[in-house]
Amino acid sequence: MATASLVLSDDSALSRLDHMLLRLERGLALASGLAVFSLMVLAVVSVGGRNLFSSPLPGYVDWIEQAMPLIAFMGASYVMREGGHIRMDIIVGQLRGRLLYLVELITTLAVLVLMVLLVWGSWAHFQRSFDFAAPKWSRDSAMDTALPLGPAILLAPVAFGVLCVRLCLQVWAFGRAALTGQAVAVPLIADAAKQAQMEADQLQSSVKDAN
Amino acid sequence: MEPIDIGLWVTGSMLVLVLLGMRVAFAAGLAGMVGLIWIFWAKKDYGLDDFGWALGVAVKTAGQVPHSKVSSQALSLIPTFILIGYLAYYAGLTKALFEAAKRWIAWVPGGLAVSTVFATAGFAAVSGASVATSAVFARIAIPEMLKIGYDKRFAAGVVAAGGTLASLIPPSAILVIYAIIVEQDVGKLLLAGFIPGAFSALIYGLLIIGLALTIKGFGPPVGGFTWRERLVALPPALPIVFVVVVIICFVYNPFGGDAWGTPTEGGAIGAFVVFLMALYQGMRWSQLKDALIETAKLSVMIFTIIWGVLIYVRFLGFADLPGAFSDWITALTMSPMLILICILLAYAVLGMFMDAIGMLLLTLPVVYPAIMALNGGAFVSAADSTFGMSGPMCAIWFGILVVKMAEFCLITPPIGLNCFVVAGVRDDLSVQDVFKGVTPFFIADAITIALLVAFPAIVLWLPSLA
Repeated sequence: MATASLVLSDDSALSRLDHMLLRLERGLALASGLAVFSLMVLAVVSVGGRNLFSSPLPGYVDWIEQAMPLIAFMGASYVMREGGHIRMDIIVGQLRGRLLYLVELITTLAVLVLMVLLVWGSWAHFQRSFDFAAPKWSRDSAMDTALPLGPAILLAPVAFGVLCVRLCLQVWAFGRAALTGQAVAVPLIADAAKQAQMEADQLQSSVKDAN
Repeated sequence: MEPIDIGLWVTGSMLVLVLLGMRVAFAAGLAGMVGLIWIFWAKKDYGLDDFGWALGVAVKTAGQVPHSKVSSQALSLIPTFILIGYLAYYAGLTKALFEAAKRWIAWVPGGLAVSTVFATAGFAAVSGASVATSAVFARIAIPEMLKIGYDKRFAAGVVAAGGTLASLIPPSAILVIYAIIVEQDVGKLLLAGFIPGAFSALIYGLLIIGLALTIKGFGPPVGGFTWRERLVALPPALPIVFVVVVIICFVYNPFGGDAWGTPTEGGAIGAFVVFLMALYQGMRWSQLKDALIETAKLSVMIFTIIWGVLIYVRFLGFADLPGAFSDWITALTMSPMLILICILLAYAVLGMFMDAIGMLLLTLPVVYPAIMALNGGAFVSAADSTFGMSGPMCAIWFGILVVKMAEFCLITPPIGLNCFVVAGVRDDLSVQDVFKGVTPFFIADAITIALLVAFPAIVLWLPSLA
């Protein structure tokens, strides 16, 4: 599950870049959260309109389909920065120091290779849909509302591009850590107890805020 | 090399990457991508000039998966359910539930522990996350139980086990994920989770009452609440009942007539009510922003693993690994029920080391077709089937069984995450203490799973009405 992050900072250029990128990533994650909120509002308007005024929201399903890529992709880089994507850390959790950073470097490089290929693939998918000559520049459009699908399809390569920048930073950071033994700007593995403590603290502060 | 061999090699390599700690979503995506390149290149007999062609085709095949698979209306349930969970904290529902459960149920033997189980079950109705449920109740319920003389290990065990109820009672994000992966009706699966979830809570409750009656000084009942005090405790907890009822009514109308809408709309209306409640409790923009970012984080994590695994599934289709596995399973001479039990036990072992969502998504593309084949195929009628149920019903039954297994693993050593969470919250408890305290629930879960296997009607009655 998503847990609180454990990312160290110092005054290096790497750490400064990490924080700059983090600001962008938080903004994108918030956009994704707002899209979830808009899903809720859309449904209330649609159900309310249908039952109270006998006029359902036109193209309700189309709007959901437009919002989904925003929710699904835009926060990918932020979650990577925080170390939130699910993994099995039973083996890496036992490693320490440079060996750990070396293994992290290898797996992060593998993720980077995949994401570069997917930026290419998802861009090609966008290009198939995009056409200057077509109405609204799009060969595909949603069924009810004729909304062009191009912008929603474009979100995938854009979000994956930001993720590639994050992965480049992490490759640099793990490479540096493997050489110097000091890891900054990358999520560190907390043992289960520490992780639980952080999660509980986070929840506790939320509950406190609410009460 | 035959496609099936490529399938085996790629799958093996993916498991090595996952073991090495590569994020599951990306390990699956990479395996799918490499597998596609390999299969297309093999078709051209590995000609050096053809590698570029194979790479291009594979990248374009994989590149359309993320967008085309996530932009579905059914998947929009997941972020909505997660949002309900985060808003529930701000709506003050946790304490309200515990208080209501205490005033209404705590008079039975072992009353406070039973109240805790029912309060966690209620909280499960607004939160899909087991670990979070345990963390929250560890703070609220354990101190109260210790105050009246419960054994601290047992008190911790109650909270760790109670947390596992979250993923069956609707709204359950994990059941939506299952439905998407196996391409079954989301609404029916959500309905199907309700009775097994409530049933699990009931078994836990009966177990605690049984222990309280047999062990001396176990934990006294808590009584003395007037009817007025009880009634006053209800309204703050009502939004939870509302959320469950709305979601059920949007899938299947128990009052007769058409369902009120789609599950997506039901989830969103539920979220809206909890949102209004949170506003009433004084939620500010900064708190809403935190809730939205947390919702985005968890949603992205789940969606990433969904599209990553679906790239791998696209490759599996070319390699025909699921077909080969199904053929192998159906050719076994063991009884089909024994095979099913072996598969469930394998999940129990795997779940000790892996996160529930990761485990289900990685294994279902291969295991699910085999189970369906074992029952006689996806479109078999109940009369011709092995397990006495039609194809779609078998899909629902198996879904509930594997999700219950995945939850079971949250309280089993060595990595029962809920137990770690409870031990992490309480300084006076070690993980071993919590594991000791949770042992009776372990047995209760085994009984529940056995009953769900032996009497599928517990799972299938409600969805068969819809």
